[in-house]
Amino acid sequence: MRPTATGSNLVLRSPRERASRRTRPWSPAIGTRRALASFLAVFALALTMLLAAGQNPAEAHRLKVFATVEDGAITGYAFFIGGGRPEGVDFIVKNGSGTAVHRGKTDDEGGFRWRPDHAEDYSVTVDAGDGHFAAAEILADRLAGQLSAEPATATPQATAPAPAFVVPAQPGPAEAAACAPLDRDALAKLVQASVDRAVAREIRPLLEAYDQADGRVRLNDVMGGVGMIVGLAGAGLWAVSRRRRPVPDDPAGPPGERRDPPA
Amino acid sequence: MAHIPDGVLSVPVLIGGGVLAAGGLALGLRRLDERDIPKTAILAAVFFVVSLVSVPVGPSSIHLLLSGLMGLVLGVRAIPAVFVGLLLQAALFGFGGLTTLGVNVVDIAFPGVVFAALARPLIDAAQPRRAVAVAGLVAALAVLGTAGCVSLALALSSAEYLPSAKIVAVTYVPLAAAEAVITALVVGFLLKVRPALLASPAGRPA
Repeated sequence: MRPTATGSNLVLRSPRERASRRTRPWSPAIGTRRALASFLAVFALALTMLLAAGQNPAEAHRLKVFATVEDGAITGYAFFIGGGRPEGVDFIVKNGSGTAVHRGKTDDEGGFRWRPDHAEDYSVTVDAGDGHFAAAEILADRLAGQLSAEPATATPQATAPAPAFVVPAQPGPAEAAACAPLDRDALAKLVQASVDRAVAREIRPLLEAYDQADGRVRLNDVMGGVGMIVGLAGAGLWAVSRRRRPVPDDPAGPPGERRDPPA
Repeated sequence: MAHIPDGVLSVPVLIGGGVLAAGGLALGLRRLDERDIPKTAILAAVFFVVSLVSVPVGPSSIHLLLSGLMGLVLGVRAIPAVFVGLLLQAALFGFGGLTTLGVNVVDIAFPGVVFAALARPLIDAAQPRRAVAVAGLVAALAVLGTAGCVSLALALSSAEYLPSAKIVAVTYVPLAAAEAVITALVVGFLLKVRPALLASPAGRPA
């Protein structure tokens, strides 16, 4: 490694000669302090970027899928927590047993919509095409009020309540039908359908806000992680110093950054 | 992008990534001298924080990785640094996953380490200004290497998840440019203030 060694000396020398005007004798302590100062500068830059990234404490980079049920259809959108929606990318709906039952492309807003023909556990996976994936689950319960649980599926977890309703797809006929005298069952279905719709409309913002908040990076967590790293470093240093203790002065230690004290 | 979540990769890819990462981790830890611990920890912390900040670009959003910088400053010690950063990101924020930790370590750390090692003789021999340019190039190549590794891991797992070349180009090329600029600035600064930091990995007798 001769050329490397002389080469690195080249790099080492020239700036130090420039710095030698200051006539400050080089010492490991000063070197370490400088290293620490320069990395603190980098770290401060990173932290500033973190704090400057929008109003939130931090914007994270992660794909998430928001999915809900409206009028018996699974609908929602995929979003990056740091901003942006993956448009025109694949989404795959899988049923409870993990087989894909529907594939499609997200729209301009990263949105998707698919109407299953029966209530079951579904999951929607969005593949943003660059190695980002996210999935959301819609449990059979949330579809059960609006779709029939098909007995043919024979999934034990199809927990649809015994009277399963089929909601008229269009509100128009339903309203028209409302004018006609109704029997008890039909009325119950209509009430159920409109209650479902109203509840879905009301809870949608809550679910969205929850999903947004769920993925947000909080400063506390970031600082906790940094603290863990500092702790790890401390533990490592402690372990090394314990191992070193029997040999107090070890000049044969790996010649690291301080291998060239200036003459 | 770089953080592949759980449940996407096939088992052989996960195991392969895990074995590679464990090997790299062992290598990095063996080289981790007492004097290297503080700077490794500080760069791990910088990586941990900086890759949480993302900027929307096109249909996706990107974040810095600084794997080139880590490779240049830490050498193989970048692998433990990335491992710790990714472990904490997976545990605290659900970025990436625990089963994919090995693959993600390989994807992010290895290209930086490899390109930095390849560029090491160039940087050592060059004048500071050229060394800065080479460092920027290393950072850009490391990002593209990460893109390649991620694509490879996904392609090996399932043809279904093959990333689209267009989206990868749209997201990774700006990231490579940004990394190049930032790494060049940092390396330029370090060359002025404390060049030994950049010289140490190769200066060691192996």
